[in-house]
Amino acid sequence: MNLLLRIAVYVPVLFLIAIVIVGQHHATAADTVRAAVRRTGRWLVWSLLLVLCMLVLELLFIGW
Amino acid sequence: MGNLSAHMEHPNSHPARGLGWGPFLLGFVPGLLQWRLGQKQRAVLALASCTALFFAGWVLVRERLFYWALLTPDENASAVLRGLARFGLPLSLPELLNLPANTLGALLCWDATPTGERLWRLPRDLEHLGGFLTGASGMLAAFWSAAAHWQLRLRRDGGASPAAPVADPALCAALSWLVPGLGHARAGQRDKGMLLGAAVVAVFALGLVFSHGHAVDRATYSVWWIAQNLFGGGSLFAALVTGPMRMVGEPPDLPLGVVLCTVAGLMNLVVMVDAYTVAERSVFPVRQPAGAAA
Repeated sequence: MNLLLRIAVYVPVLFLIAIVIVGQHHATAADTVRAAVRRTGRWLVWSLLLVLCMLVLELLFIGW
Repeated sequence: MGNLSAHMEHPNSHPARGLGWGPFLLGFVPGLLQWRLGQKQRAVLALASCTALFFAGWVLVRERLFYWALLTPDENASAVLRGLARFGLPLSLPELLNLPANTLGALLCWDATPTGERLWRLPRDLEHLGGFLTGASGMLAAFWSAAAHWQLRLRRDGGASPAAPVADPALCAALSWLVPGLGHARAGQRDKGMLLGAAVVAVFALGLVFSHGHAVDRATYSVWWIAQNLFGGGSLFAALVTGPMRMVGEPPDLPLGVVLCTVAGLMNLVVMVDAYTVAERSVFPVRQPAGAAA
């Protein structure tokens, strides 16, 4: 349940941050939202990779 | 000082280059850049507004500002830090941006005795509002400085008769500090401004909800507050409404709330800079490199 709550907060906040970041390169709201969706997807992939790396490190140095 | 007049007299062939250390450092004294530009009335207005705002808050918080500094100059601090603290230089942000008032306020209430230090830790009535006002004076000083930098840029790069911007860039940044996105609306990007504003407000509101309203509290989270205050409207709301609320048991997601409100403040820093840039580019558009259109 706690993990679900964290994901439910993380993904929308990531999208809102992406809106502000990509908004610097666009002049209209529609263009900004489209670019923010793509950027959020890319950031989610990087987030998953980061979690996987942390899991691998945990397995290597701490074990199960 | 010599650099300042050189900037005003010789056109710059590299517009992206900054104005140098001289104008940057002069910007810490509200009105000094306007005075150098020959705008005497605006100089007086800048100094008076920043000083009045600072002391409107200072009478409520006084020596509490030492306790809220990034480096607290208490008895464990180095002699150098305690020496600087006497002149208000232990990094009370954003008050430091309003250097004269901050220094005067520190000189008026510095007391390094144990009794004096106990006063730093003593909560005051209306301290949330007082802390916001002294902080707002620092932000106002930064916006006055930005306005003067814009004038310097126009004189340096705008030619003999520079075009008028769609809106004053510094004013756009200041409006965005209070209401995220308002600066964009002023600069002609209304729908984008509403979207950016909604994003900042949503993250800030989420932080307040998770923390049951306790995420923005300068007395408890003074370092985090420095970034949270970059959303001025949000920190004003917190100072007036949620800050004075009594905490009954620590909310389980308080740290998450503090982080979200801080992220919202940093997001608004990006929004403020973008609002300034949108207005700036109405006079100095970005030149695309040859072949970029293809």
